[in-house]
Amino acid sequence: MNKVLISVLGNDQPGILATVATVINQRQGNIENLSQTLLHTVFGALLLVDIPEQETPESLQQALQEASASMGLNITVHPWHEQIADWHQNKPEIQPYIISAIGPDRQGLVAEVASQLFKHGVNISNLQAIFKGGKNPMENVMVFEIDVPRATNMDELREALAEIANRLDLEISVQHRKIFESVSTILT
Amino acid sequence: MLNVKDIISTLQMVREENLDLRTVTVGINLTDCVSDDINTFKRKIYDKITRTAGQLVATCNRIERRYGIEVANKRISVSPIGVVAAPFNTEQMVEIALTLDKAANELGIDFIGGFSALVEKGMSSGDRALIDAIPQALTESRRVCSSVNVASTRAGLNMDAIIRMGQVIKEAADLTADADGLAAAKLVVFANIPQDVPFMAGAYLGIGEADAVVSVGVSGPGVVKAALERAIAEEEHMDLSRAADVIKQTAARLTRAGELVGREVANILQLPFGIVDLSLAPTPNRNDSVGEIFEAIGLQAIGSPGSTAFLAMLNDAVKKGGAFASSHVGGLSGAFIPVCEDLTIAESAANGTLSLEKLEAMTAVCSVGLDMVALPGDTSAEMLSAIIADEMAIGVINKKTTAARLIPAPGKKAGDHVVFGGLLGEGPVMAVNMGNQENRFVRLGGRIPAPIQSLVN
Repeated sequence: MNKVLISVLGNDQPGILATVATVINQRQGNIENLSQTLLHTVFGALLLVDIPEQETPESLQQALQEASASMGLNITVHPWHEQIADWHQNKPEIQPYIISAIGPDRQGLVAEVASQLFKHGVNISNLQAIFKGGKNPMENVMVFEIDVPRATNMDELREALAEIANRLDLEISVQHRKIFESVSTILT
Repeated sequence: MLNVKDIISTLQMVREENLDLRTVTVGINLTDCVSDDINTFKRKIYDKITRTAGQLVATCNRIERRYGIEVANKRISVSPIGVVAAPFNTEQMVEIALTLDKAANELGIDFIGGFSALVEKGMSSGDRALIDAIPQALTESRRVCSSVNVASTRAGLNMDAIIRMGQVIKEAADLTADADGLAAAKLVVFANIPQDVPFMAGAYLGIGEADAVVSVGVSGPGVVKAALERAIAEEEHMDLSRAADVIKQTAARLTRAGELVGREVANILQLPFGIVDLSLAPTPNRNDSVGEIFEAIGLQAIGSPGSTAFLAMLNDAVKKGGAFASSHVGGLSGAFIPVCEDLTIAESAANGTLSLEKLEAMTAVCSVGLDMVALPGDTSAEMLSAIIADEMAIGVINKKTTAARLIPAPGKKAGDHVVFGGLLGEGPVMAVNMGNQENRFVRLGGRIPAPIQSLVN
C-alpha cells in the first residue's frame, strides 16, 4: 500500500465527497483520515488515502478530475511519505494561548502577526477570522490559536504584538486558552 | 479547535461587560499567634500575614496577564480578632488594627478584614474590647474592615449587642465627620455571617477554617445585563423562565472563570483553594451595576413595584448557575444591592424611586442586606439599632445572611449627597422614618429568642 494526500477545492455543493469517495472506493483505495472545512461558500478538504500498489497518484488524479468535471473542482493528488515535521516529532513542552486581533481587517495583519510568532518559536495551530465589516469591533475579529514553547519569552512576544496593534490601530490580546475553555465549556 | 463564537463571547464579557474578578482574598488563620503580650502578638500576626501573602499581589498580576482578566482587588481576611486577641484591652485592640493596616500596606492590598467579633449569643471580654475599639480603629487605619455578628438563626438576636452597635456606628461616623462618616462604611453588622466571605467589609476567616486559604469573589453585573439584553432583543419567545435560564448560564460561566483563576493563584501560593463567591457585586460605574439589570428586564428602575420579585429570581438564578459550575461555591453568592457602590441604585434612591422601606423588603431576597446606606446625621443611635434589628430579624427567620452597613453622615440631611470615594462610591442620604426619635423597644435589650426554625436536630 502506498499513501497519497488528496486536496479538493471548489464551490460547496452536494455530492463533492460522494463523488471523490466513490472514485477512491472503486479504485480499491481506502480513506484513512480526512478533514473538510468551509470558508463561506468555498469547500476545502484534505484526504489521506491508502492506494493499492498498481495505482499511481497521476492516474487517480485523472480519474477524480474526470468524475467531478461538472462540479468545477480543483483536485490534486500528491504522493505522501509519512515524514513528520521536526516540530511535531520533537514537540517542546507547550502552553496553548489564544491571540485575538479586534478591529477592521488590515493588509499585512496576518503576515505581521505570523512573522512575530515564527520569530518567537510559536506554532499556529488554527486561525479563524470573522470580518463582517461595520462599526462593531466584535464583528471584526481574527483569532489565532497558538502553541507557545516554554522557551518563548511571553513578555517579549506581548511587546512585539503590542507594537503591531499600535501601528495597525487594532486591539490585540494574548490569553491562555484555559480561560476560554472554562468559560465556554460548562459540561466536560 | 475552539469555536470562534465562544471565543468572541468570552472576549466580549471581558472587554465590554466588565467581567473581572472582584477579589482574590487570602484567609489567614491567626490562632497560632495568640499571646498575652501585646508586642509579641503584634509581631506574630504581622509576620504571619506578610509571610503567607507576600506573593499575593505579584501572583495575581501574573495570572491577570496570563488570562487577560483583571483581578480588581487583592485582600486578606484573618481570624476574628475578638477571639485571637481576647486578652487585650480597647487601646491595645486599636494597636492591633494599626498592625493589620501596616501589614496590608506592606503587601499592597486594598483591604484587610477580620477586625471582627461573633457575639450573637453573648459578648466575651475580648469581643467587648474589640467593639469598643472599632470607631477609633477604623478612623486611624485605612485598610482595615470590621464586622460584628449579632444574630443567628440558631441563637436569635443579641439585642444588647445591637444596642451597642448602633452607638459604635454613630461614634465611628462622627469621628470621620470630615469624610461623610467614612469609618462606618468599613463596618458591617451581620446575622448568620458566613465563615468564608471574600468580599469586604464582611470578610473574616472562620474558626473552622484551615491555616490559610485562597477564595475568590467573582462579579459581573454588566455581563448578566448584556446577556439579558441580547436574549430579549434576539429571542422570540422570551419570558421570565427563559430569562432565569439566561442568568443561570451566565452565572455558571462567571463562576468557571473565577474558579480557574482562584485555583491557579492558590496553586502558585501553595495554599488550599477555598470557595468561589459568585456575587453580582457592583462598582460605581456604568455597565457594572446591579440596578441596570432591573432596567434590562423591563422595570422602570430598581425600587419600582416588581423589584422584589425580580430580585428574588435574580438571586436564585445566580446561585443555581454558580452551584452547577463549581462544587465549592460559598460566601454570600447572590446579588448585592449596595446603595452607594452602585450607580443606578444610588440614582433610584436619590430620585425617590427607592425608599429605605422598599430596600429593606428587597433585602429579604438578596444575598446581603442594607448595604452602604447613608442616613441623616441626626439619626439616633437607638434608631440605628432598630434598623439593624429589623434587618437581622429577616436573616434569622429566613435562615440566611443579612447585614447592615449604615453610615449616619454627620451634618447631612435626607437628600444630601455623600462621597466616600473609590469602590465605596457615593450617593444620596436616604430618609429614615422618625429617625431622630427615641426607640423604647430597642432599649429593653436582652435577647430575642432563637426562632422555632432553629430546632432542626
